[in-house]
Amino acid sequence: MTMPLLEIDNLHVCFDTRAGTVQALRGVSLSVAPGETLGIVGESGSGKSVTAQAVMGLIDVPGRISGGEILWQGQPLAGVDVTRAARGIWGREITMIFQNPMTSLNPLMTIGAQIAEVVELHMGFDRRAARQRAAELLSAVGIAGAERRLGQYPHEFSGGMRQRVMIAMGIACEPKLLIADEPTTALDVTIQAQILELLAELQEKMGLAIVLITHDLGIVAGLCHRVAVMYAGQIVETGPVDAIFENPSHPYTQGLIRSTPGLDADEERLTAIDGAPPGLLRPPSGCAFLPRCPIGDEGCRAPQRLRAVGSGTVACRKAGEQAWREAV
Amino acid sequence: MTAAPVLSVSGLAIDYELSSGGLFRKRRSVSAVSAVSFELAPGETLGLVGESGSGKTTVGRAVLRRIPAAKGRIVFDGEDITNLQGEALRRLRARMQIVLQDPYTSLNPRMKVSSIVAEPLIVHGLAASAEEARTAVAELLERVGLPGDAADRYPHSFSGGQRQRIGIARALALKPALIVADEPVSALDVSVRAQVVNLMQDLQRDLGISYLFIAHDLAIVRHISHRVAIMYAGRIVEIAPRQAIYERPIHPYTEALLSAVPVANPKLQRARRRIVPPGESVDIANPPKGCRFHPRCPLASNRCRKEEPQLLRKSGDHFAACWNRDA
Repeated sequence: MTMPLLEIDNLHVCFDTRAGTVQALRGVSLSVAPGETLGIVGESGSGKSVTAQAVMGLIDVPGRISGGEILWQGQPLAGVDVTRAARGIWGREITMIFQNPMTSLNPLMTIGAQIAEVVELHMGFDRRAARQRAAELLSAVGIAGAERRLGQYPHEFSGGMRQRVMIAMGIACEPKLLIADEPTTALDVTIQAQILELLAELQEKMGLAIVLITHDLGIVAGLCHRVAVMYAGQIVETGPVDAIFENPSHPYTQGLIRSTPGLDADEERLTAIDGAPPGLLRPPSGCAFLPRCPIGDEGCRAPQRLRAVGSGTVACRKAGEQAWREAV
Repeated sequence: MTAAPVLSVSGLAIDYELSSGGLFRKRRSVSAVSAVSFELAPGETLGLVGESGSGKTTVGRAVLRRIPAAKGRIVFDGEDITNLQGEALRRLRARMQIVLQDPYTSLNPRMKVSSIVAEPLIVHGLAASAEEARTAVAELLERVGLPGDAADRYPHSFSGGQRQRIGIARALALKPALIVADEPVSALDVSVRAQVVNLMQDLQRDLGISYLFIAHDLAIVRHISHRVAIMYAGRIVEIAPRQAIYERPIHPYTEALLSAVPVANPKLQRARRRIVPPGESVDIANPPKGCRFHPRCPLASNRCRKEEPQLLRKSGDHFAACWNRDA
């Protein structure tokens, strides 16, 4: 096996609030290999975005990394002493695109200037070369009339086009890893399909690794090689995409897949997972899914660690058991 | 449809004013929706699907008489409500209710759940005493699966799914015949979404409510709807029983929309033929001549560029607005 690009080991992140300390990440470990697409799925508050922010050095007061390690090609990427070195990595070797392209772009700068800024800063291009590169990038992400579009402002672009601009900025320095945090959630279905196709195409051409953060299992199924499922600040299951969807091991993953209606099945009732995720002010020490789990019992009150099961890893002592029978 | 429809909309058009005009300015308006017709039977769910700006929310708001219709007729329970005013309109409001998308902003944070749910009862004078209101609220909360102590708490202490249940309880308070649900589950997490969808189906089965279910999520719409209407740029382009829409779509836009939905099945997803329509939805202030979908349509012919197709019966209950496609 080649060395992973990114390795996260037992990462803890917490946020100090007036009500107490929120434990947003509670021992997250994962790795991303060169050229692969890893999907991180989970519901709101599960910690998927915080994981990405930690990798990008974006955790700021009141948040802090309270434990664990992030390694980029073997080099530490978290902690005070590494910040200087990491500057050459963030935005250069690892880039990130966000859900809402309107708020990620500066409304007072032309698109061309914003893209050019990235390559001037990180690649040391001069003005003219940077502009040339910006035009190439716009064409690469499928924006027609690049020369004319460079002089326009973000408000002159539609939502889908803005996300293309964000992707152009994301790939400007030919990074090794692109983190996409819900990149299509704000877009219409047909536009979403265009953007996902673009990401897949860029990955193939550039050999880019992608971490795709989403709550939409359909997007994961279409684009990812591997999946990590998060729940209440922890990873509960990882595995190759086919295995996760065909044979999910963790009761939460099973429930998640069953509660997503398809376009062809005519199920009478959806499988709903009763209850809601636990608060992270005082998270349980055992399995966080226990109160909602149909097959959980006393033994599940002990902490559950990820262990290898089949082709993936699962944090459940009953891994593989069918948690949900017929829909009631 | 055998039973008399609870709601019948014909030829509905809605304009939004861009500028009200003045001494030196022309009055300008944009046609958000036009030629929209559909019927809704008692106890039936009609899914109204479209991308942002297609006019689906506008149709819902017009049905509820929150915005005026520029043209067309809205008949509710046998009565023409298009121009109802005053007391009659107030009485009508009790019989049609709305459930909104965002349960975080649609509940007053300073009101206890008991007041939120009892408010419609009090406004419409349906609770004679405080005692009666309390009993009614307790019943409603139980009905939507909230714990007994919910009444005395404030919205902030509930999760998104529970808040949506509160919104549904409030909508149910007046025993409406029709609920317009505008993206009721799109703000909810996947596992919770299923809970709310199941609740809405239970309520329909038990109380015979009709739903106009407005959403962009085609999988959820398929699950909950009996019939589905697809909107594009202010027009209904196709309307049919759900099976027909999903298995035998006629309109090229419906086809493209269905193929663009990512399916949570990796093998199926890789094998699916995707028709990604190029370009983006039209600017309804400057719509193209002819069929509004023609600039993105693979089948577009000369006729499509000149003449706008009407919504016509293609077979049985299956209507579509396309020159080049038949069932």
